[in-house]
Amino acid sequence: MLQVNIDGKTYNVNEGSSILEAAGKAHIKIPTLCYEEGLSIYGGCRLCVVEIEGERLLQPACATEIKEGMVIKTHSPKVQEVRRNLFELIIASHDISCKLNCLTCSKNGNCELRQAADIIGINQVRLKSRDKGYSEDRSSYSIIREPNKCITCGRCIRKCEEVQGIGIFTMANRGPATIVTTFEDKGMGNVECTNCGQCIHSCPTGALHEVYHYENVWDVLNDPSKHVVVQTAPAVRVAISEPFGAEPGAVATGQMVAALRRLGFDRVFDTNFTADLTIMEEGTELIERINNGGILPLLTSCSPGWIKFIEHFYPDLLPNISSCKSPQQMFGAVAKTYYAEKNNIPLEDLVVVSVMPCTAKKFEARRPEMEGDVDFVLTTRELARMIKTAGIDMLALEEEEYDNLMGVSSGAADIFGATGGVMEAALRTAYELITGEELEKLDFEMVRGLEGIKVAEIDINGLKVKGGVAHGLGNVRKLMDRIKSGEEFHFIELMACPGGCLGGGGQPIPTNEETRTRRMKAIYEIDKGKKMRKSHENSYVQKLYDDYLGKPGSHRAHELLHTSYTARGV
Amino acid sequence: MNYGCFLERMHNVQDTYGYIPETEIDKIARDFNIPRAKVYGTIKFYSMFHTEPTGKYIIRICDSLSCHINSSHQLLETIKTYLGLEDGQTTKDKLFTLEVVECLGYCGEGPVMMVNEHVYIHVNESMALEILKKCV
Amino acid sequence: MEETLFLKKDMKKELSNYEFSNLKKALKLGREKVIDIIKQSGLKGRGGAGFPTGLKWELAYQEEADKKYIICNGDEGEPGTFKDRYLLENNPVKVLEGILIVAYAIGADEGYCYIRGEYLGPINIFEKVINEAEATGILGENILDSGFNFNLYLVKGAGAYVCGDETSLINSIEGKRGRSRIKPPYPIAKGLFDKPTVVNNVETLVSAVEIINQGLDKYLELGTENSRGTKLVCLSGDVNQPGVYEVEFGQVTLGEIIEQFGKGIRNYVPLKFLVPGGISTQVLTPAELNVPYTYEGIASAGSALGSGAVIVVDEGHDLVDLMLNVSRFFMDETCGTCFPCREGNRQVYHMLKEGKEGFTEKDVELIKNVGTTIHLAARCGLGQTSLNFIGSVFDKFGDELKLKGGEHYVTSKY
Repeated sequence: MLQVNIDGKTYNVNEGSSILEAAGKAHIKIPTLCYEEGLSIYGGCRLCVVEIEGERLLQPACATEIKEGMVIKTHSPKVQEVRRNLFELIIASHDISCKLNCLTCSKNGNCELRQAADIIGINQVRLKSRDKGYSEDRSSYSIIREPNKCITCGRCIRKCEEVQGIGIFTMANRGPATIVTTFEDKGMGNVECTNCGQCIHSCPTGALHEVYHYENVWDVLNDPSKHVVVQTAPAVRVAISEPFGAEPGAVATGQMVAALRRLGFDRVFDTNFTADLTIMEEGTELIERINNGGILPLLTSCSPGWIKFIEHFYPDLLPNISSCKSPQQMFGAVAKTYYAEKNNIPLEDLVVVSVMPCTAKKFEARRPEMEGDVDFVLTTRELARMIKTAGIDMLALEEEEYDNLMGVSSGAADIFGATGGVMEAALRTAYELITGEELEKLDFEMVRGLEGIKVAEIDINGLKVKGGVAHGLGNVRKLMDRIKSGEEFHFIELMACPGGCLGGGGQPIPTNEETRTRRMKAIYEIDKGKKMRKSHENSYVQKLYDDYLGKPGSHRAHELLHTSYTARGV
Repeated sequence: MNYGCFLERMHNVQDTYGYIPETEIDKIARDFNIPRAKVYGTIKFYSMFHTEPTGKYIIRICDSLSCHINSSHQLLETIKTYLGLEDGQTTKDKLFTLEVVECLGYCGEGPVMMVNEHVYIHVNESMALEILKKCV
Repeated sequence: MEETLFLKKDMKKELSNYEFSNLKKALKLGREKVIDIIKQSGLKGRGGAGFPTGLKWELAYQEEADKKYIICNGDEGEPGTFKDRYLLENNPVKVLEGILIVAYAIGADEGYCYIRGEYLGPINIFEKVINEAEATGILGENILDSGFNFNLYLVKGAGAYVCGDETSLINSIEGKRGRSRIKPPYPIAKGLFDKPTVVNNVETLVSAVEIINQGLDKYLELGTENSRGTKLVCLSGDVNQPGVYEVEFGQVTLGEIIEQFGKGIRNYVPLKFLVPGGISTQVLTPAELNVPYTYEGIASAGSALGSGAVIVVDEGHDLVDLMLNVSRFFMDETCGTCFPCREGNRQVYHMLKEGKEGFTEKDVELIKNVGTTIHLAARCGLGQTSLNFIGSVFDKFGDELKLKGGEHYVTSKY
C-alpha cells in the first residue's frame, strides 16, 4: 500500500495503481476519452491531466503510476483551464459546429464527448470549427464509418487488435492529417473485418455505427401489401430495456413482443425456436461425425463474425465447421418455405425481419450462399430507436406472448445468447439422444462465465466428449491455434464477441464488463425459470420435422438449413 | 524476423519499385506477423515512403526557417509554376514528383534542393530551372 | 575570435591507420572508470534536452539485463541544425569510436546508428565506415582482443522530425510509427525491444571520445561550471558567414557569435531577433543578446540553448510569415497522437493565417491559451516546445502584430 494525497485528502492505494484508478477509488471523476478499461493505455487525449506537486508539467492520470507520498491535484484551476482549452480544441475538429449534428448522430444520448463536456464544465467555444472533409466509409454491409466525427483516440484500433486479435484499423499519416483508416484506405467492407461491431462499443463519438435497416423496415411496415414477420434473438430480450432507462439485465421479453406488435409486425416470432432447431441439426451432425469418424472437432456456426474470421484467418479449418446455418438464417429459410406455404403468403409479399444483438448478422443476411432468407436485420439499438420513434412507452406495456408456431422455445435456446450456451444446449440434447437416459443435472457450470477460454470433458456412456468454448475473437484465435497444434476436441463453440451474443456489436451502449455480467445473469435466470429446458423436448420443433422436414439431417433439412463457406484469406 | 530491419526493408522495396506496392505490404505483414493495416499505417507515417508510384525524379525543396529566410519560398513558386505541380504531386509523364520538405541540414547554404540523391546548395531560380531541364 | 578546437581536433574521415586509441584506453580503464570520467566531465547531451551524459551511462550500466542497446541518434531534424551532418561527414570514425566506448561502458553488445533518411551523404559515409570496421574486426567478436563483442547496424530514417525524440526513435527502429512513448519507463530501463538502452546524440558521442582522448583536466578547463567544454554552433540565417563553429562555453556572448563568427548581418540590415537553439526555442531581441553562450546564460535570457542552431533574422522579414513557417513545421511534424499538440498546432496555424492583417486582443489570448495548453499537457518535448517561437514573437513584438486600434492583450497566468 502506498500513501498519496489526492485533492487534500490522504488515501492508501495499491502499488502499481494509476492516478486514474486511485482517483476512482476516492470517488473523484477525472474526464477521459482515449482511455478504456481492458485496452492498453494510449495517453493521447490528455483530458485526464492532473497537477502533481513538484512537477512542472501536467501529467496524464491514466498513464502515471502512483508513487509514495505523491500530492495530486485533479481539479486545480490550472488543470481546469487546460482541460477546457483542450476540450475546445477537440470540439473544433469534430464536425459539429453550427450543424446541430448532435441531433442526428448515432451516439445522440450516449456520446462520451458530451459526458466529458459535462464534467469539464465547458461554457464557450472560441475556436473556429476546422472540418476535415473526409468521405464516409460505406463499403461494409454491417458498419458505417464517419471519419469527420473521429477524434483519433485509437480505441477502435486497440479494441480490434487487442481484444479481437485482428487489427483492421490503423492510424495513418501524421500531424493534422492523422486519421484512423483501414489497409490502403480500402474501407471496412473490403478488408478482413469480421463485422463484429466491437469497435462501435469502443468509439466515444458517433464515428462508427451500424448500417441502418430501420428505415427499410418502416417502409415495409407501412406498406399494407406486405406481410412482415419478425424474429428476436436470445440476447435481445435481456438488453432491450436498457435504452429505456432500465438497469442492465432487466428482462423485457413480453414487453418487447407487445411493442413489436404495436409497431405493426404481422407476426412476432422467436429466433429461439430455430436455436432449438439448430441444436437438433448440429447435435445430429456431431453424433454422426463422432460415430462415423468424421472431421473433428466440430465447430459451431452461429456467430457470423466468427465465420468470417475463420474464412479469413483459418481457411484450412473450414471443413470442421458445422454446415448448419445460424438460427437467424434457419428462421428465414423456414419462414420463406414452410410458414409461407402453410399460410398461403406469396413470397413477394413476405418480409422477414430479424432483431439481433449483432452487426455481423447484417452481413450474414447478404451472403450470396443464403441471400433472401432474411430481408432486414435490426440491431437491438435500432429496435429501441423504432419503439421510441413510435412513441411507445415499452416498459409500461403488458407482457404478450410470441406467435406460434415459431414462438415457443426451450431454456436451452435462451442460453444461446451467452458464451458457452450453445455448448450447454448441445450437451443437454446429445446426452439424452445418445444415452436415452434423462439428464439429471442440466446446468453445465464449467462452460459458463466470462473466462476467455473454457474447456470441459463430459462422460456420455463411456465416451469422453471434450468441448471447448471461446468468446471474443482474440480468445478464438488462441483456441484455434491450440487445435492446429494438435490438441484434440470433439466440439467447440466459438463466438466473435466478448461474452457471446449478449455482448454483441449491436447491443445497447455501453456494453462493458458490467453490462455483460448482468445480461448473462438474466439469461441463465430465464433458462432456470422455464419448464422446458432441452431443445429436443420442443414439441413445435418436432411438429416442424413431422410436418415438413422429416428428421434431423434429412435431405430437406439440408436443403433449407445447411450451407457452405468461402475461403477468403487476408 | 528482426524488427530492427523494418525500415530497411521498406527502403529497399521503395528503391526497387519507386513506391511500396500493396502486394509488398502483404508480404511484409506476413513476414513480420503483424496486421497489414499496421504496416500500411507505419508506412504512411513517414514522408519519404510512398504508397503511390512517384516520378523518376523526386524534387525536394527545403522550406524550413533558415532556407525560408533565404527565400526558398520564391524558389519553390518558380519550380511549382515550371512543373505545374503542387506539393506532393507527380507530373503526368511520371518524370517529376515535387515535395516541400523540412530541414535538409544545409541551413547555412540555403536554399537547398535535392534531386533524388543529389543535393544542390545556394540554389537560385535560374539554377533550379537549369537543373530540372538537365533531368529531361 | 578563433574557434576553440576540441571536437574539431584531429577529425578522422578514414578508418585506415586509425588506432582506436581512445577505445583502447577505455578498455584498459574499465567500465566504472570510463563512466566516472564522463560523469565528472559534466558533459550534457547535445541533442537539445541537455541530460547529463555520465548519469545516463551510469543508470544504464546499473540496469541488470541479458541485453542492452546503444543507439546513436543521427536524426538531426531541428531546422537550423547541421552539426551532426558535419560530424558524420568529417569525423565518422570518432562517432564510431564513441558508440563503441558507450557500448563497452554500459555493457551493450548491439547498437544502432539512426541517421535521417535525407542525409544520404552521411549515410553512405557511415555505411562504409561500418563495413570497414567489420572487415578489420573493430566491430564483431572479441574487439581488440578484449573479449568485448559488439555489432552495429545502420538505420536510415524516412522523413519524420519527431523521430529525433529518443522514444520515438526507438519506436521507429522497431518498425513502428515514430510516436513518443509514455515515460516512465525511460529507455535506460526499458528502451529498444524493452531492453535498457542509451540514446546519445552524435555530438555527445564525439565529445565523450575527446574527453577520453584529451583528458578530463583539459576538458574541465573549458567552459563554465554548468556548461562544460565546447559546443558546435550552427549559424544560419541573415549572416555573412554561416557555418558550423566550435565555441567554448562562456567565452562569447550570443551577440559576439553573430559578429565574430558570422561576420555580422548581411547587407547591413538591422537585426530583428535571434533564435538561439533551433525553432523550438524562444526568440531573443537584440537587447537580450548580451548573455554568455552557456546553458545557464541563455536560460537567464528566457530561452534555451537547444541543439545549438543559431538562426539570425534581420528586419527585412514579415513576422507573420515567419511564424507561419514555424507553425506549419510543427503542425506537419506532430506525430498525431496527443490531442493538444495535434489539434493545437493546427488551430494556431489557421489562426495565424487568418491574422495576416493583424490580431485582436482576443486572437492573441486564444493563441496564448492554446500554447499554454500544449506546453502543459503535450506528451513529448516536440509538443511542449512547439509554441516557444510563436509565443515569444507575440510577447516581444506584440505591438507590431496588433490590429490597429486594438488593445493590449493579456497572457496566461501559467
